[in-house]
Amino acid sequence: MLPNRSRTSVLVFLLPPLLLYCAAVLFPILQSLFLSFFSWNGISDMEFIGLDNYVRMLTADDIFWRSFFNALLYLAICLVLQLGGALVVASLLTSLRRGRELIKTLYLLPAVISTVAIAFLFVRIYSIDPVGLLNQLLHWIGLGTFERAWLSDVNTVLAAVSAPEGWRFTGLYMLIIYAALIAVPKELEEAAVLDGASKWTLFTKIRFPYIRPVWITTTIMATTYGLRGFDIPYLMTNGGPGQSSELLTTYMYKTAFTSTDFGYASTISVFIVIECLVAVGLILFMLKRKADS
Amino acid sequence: MKKLIRAAAVAAAAALALSACGGVGASSDPANVSPTGEIKPREISWLLSRPADGAVINIMKKLADDYAKDHPGFALNLITTPDRPSYIQKLETLAAANKLPELFDTDATPFAQHLAKQGKMVDAEKLLKTLDIYDDYRPGALDYQRFDDGSLYMIPFQFELEYFWYNKALLQKAGVTVPKSLDDIPAMCTALRSAGITPIAIDGQDQWPLERYVAYQPFRAAGPEFVQKLKKGEAAFTDPAGQKTVEWMAALGKAKCFQDGFSAQGYSDAQNQFTSGQAAMYNIGTWELPSLATDKLNSAVRDDVDFFTLPTTAGSATAANEFVSPSGIGMAVNAKTYDPLVSDFLKFALAKYPAEYAATGALSPTTNVQTTVPANATPLYKKALDTADTLGAKQAMPWDTQLDPTTNGRLQQELVLLVQGNITPEQFTSTMDSTIKQNAPKFFK
Repeated sequence: MLPNRSRTSVLVFLLPPLLLYCAAVLFPILQSLFLSFFSWNGISDMEFIGLDNYVRMLTADDIFWRSFFNALLYLAICLVLQLGGALVVASLLTSLRRGRELIKTLYLLPAVISTVAIAFLFVRIYSIDPVGLLNQLLHWIGLGTFERAWLSDVNTVLAAVSAPEGWRFTGLYMLIIYAALIAVPKELEEAAVLDGASKWTLFTKIRFPYIRPVWITTTIMATTYGLRGFDIPYLMTNGGPGQSSELLTTYMYKTAFTSTDFGYASTISVFIVIECLVAVGLILFMLKRKADS
Repeated sequence: MKKLIRAAAVAAAAALALSACGGVGASSDPANVSPTGEIKPREISWLLSRPADGAVINIMKKLADDYAKDHPGFALNLITTPDRPSYIQKLETLAAANKLPELFDTDATPFAQHLAKQGKMVDAEKLLKTLDIYDDYRPGALDYQRFDDGSLYMIPFQFELEYFWYNKALLQKAGVTVPKSLDDIPAMCTALRSAGITPIAIDGQDQWPLERYVAYQPFRAAGPEFVQKLKKGEAAFTDPAGQKTVEWMAALGKAKCFQDGFSAQGYSDAQNQFTSGQAAMYNIGTWELPSLATDKLNSAVRDDVDFFTLPTTAGSATAANEFVSPSGIGMAVNAKTYDPLVSDFLKFALAKYPAEYAATGALSPTTNVQTTVPANATPLYKKALDTADTLGAKQAMPWDTQLDPTTNGRLQQELVLLVQGNITPEQFTSTMDSTIKQNAPKFFK
């Protein structure tokens, strides 16, 4: 327990960031909530329409649902690449004796490249005319039948725009998980090895339970980032062809700034906020139940 | 404490009063084109969507500098966002915040018409007439800027003609000739494809180039009125002219007219395909004359490049000399900030602009100057310019300037799917008609 005076000073120091947080995060969310009950094109008078926007979104908007399911698939691909990839690489790194720093740096590199550069890079990689890297590689290894315009094909475009986002942050999560893995006490591992535990048992019974708190944080981070994913799909395909790579975020942006339907766009943004909160709640619930059992 | 509150209230009231004073001298009546009062030089801004090093910006910068010599303290701040979708978003956001600058670019879109109706833009027709330069403008250049009711709120700075550029050698190789009718194009594409040639290079990423194609058949079948009715829901894609364009677009896709993966390819990708001799045709306007009709063009294709204008169709409602001839994005004058200074500067700049612009080798929106053909031009350059003198009275309007933004966005998306064969013409028709039905009433009430 802090003495009274220092408690006051802690509160005083915590207040400015709290105010900043309220102004920068809570206020816009509340404002969106307010706007979502109106029909407003930005230049005419705002018209109160109650829950009409919500009814339209949930019952009459095919693009909304398409974007929602696209966003879930986008999230799934990002999570597999980011968390799965990060865990595999981090585990392999711990067993490496030399060159760890170099590999860590190489994996982290994409996280520091600007999004626009990554988007342009991948547009070139996926290109068919002129032939990009991916199609060239497929051709070289004799899989020429799989060559295609990855970003124009409605069946591949969503995976194609998710991969760069996943690839980009694998290194970052790898670093966090790696830091957690090397903190696992060596004595525990050695004792288990002496008892005859296999590498798999070692991982599932000792290492993973030990890094669970970090894993939860990383999963929440990756999930909320994934649900808010916007820049790479927007830059690479602008949601196209058709609505094949449209996410809730890109759809919201277009509704607000292209269709100038600010009320309806706010409704979609309220949905995104709720979706993120639900996702975080679900993750916490599932991981906690697993830990309890 | 009470004193403090009272002082704060007084300060707030004073601030409000002062900010209200800021508007003194500015006219907010869109019809008042000649405000009276003293010219007080200050910095004015022009929010525009034109190439950063293009002729319009360079000339206006120079004219602003000249004007500032006689009016110390004057400056023209040019804020350009060449990427059109980003620009439109910026413009709409600023309009929503009521923070539009003195001058801003816009097409004759439904959104711009809203602004005009709210009295936020100066009546350009009255302005040009007062400055006594209205009659200098090409009628087509002004018509392009007009809203459907004939009112004019934007001033053009360019005049362009859109042609189908083609490579004679590639057409010959495939054994085809220049299409006489729009309906000949799908068969032509099939022939070019079987000769191993990409028929048409298109910038699919920016979406407007493909949207041009959807406008062609209705313009020929039913004239410029079709889109004016379509956007309001008074005509539909189920109508004969609508069905014709839907079927034609699907046929273009089926004949693989556009390069593979076109939807992810950009402006320069498309141009490179044509100028490197890989693609046989390329639909673009005279703003590309410097790269298509001068010695800058790849020497391997330079002598093979020619152009044809929008082909007609059997029983066409419009003539061969009527096609897409845009005068580019127009400049609107903010009525709220229009004062003697803005008026005087426009009078100065608009009088001197055409001669300066024509000297760069581009077509002026006015007829009182002669365009200088650059020294490095090929004979095609002059031929392209001369076509401007034989234009008919009607012009095909690009649909992206006509439809409401939501319908336009959906059309751009669905067109790609239609051309790629991902949806059927029937699906396209029903999606688009219901989108128009849902969105048009909000914009055109």
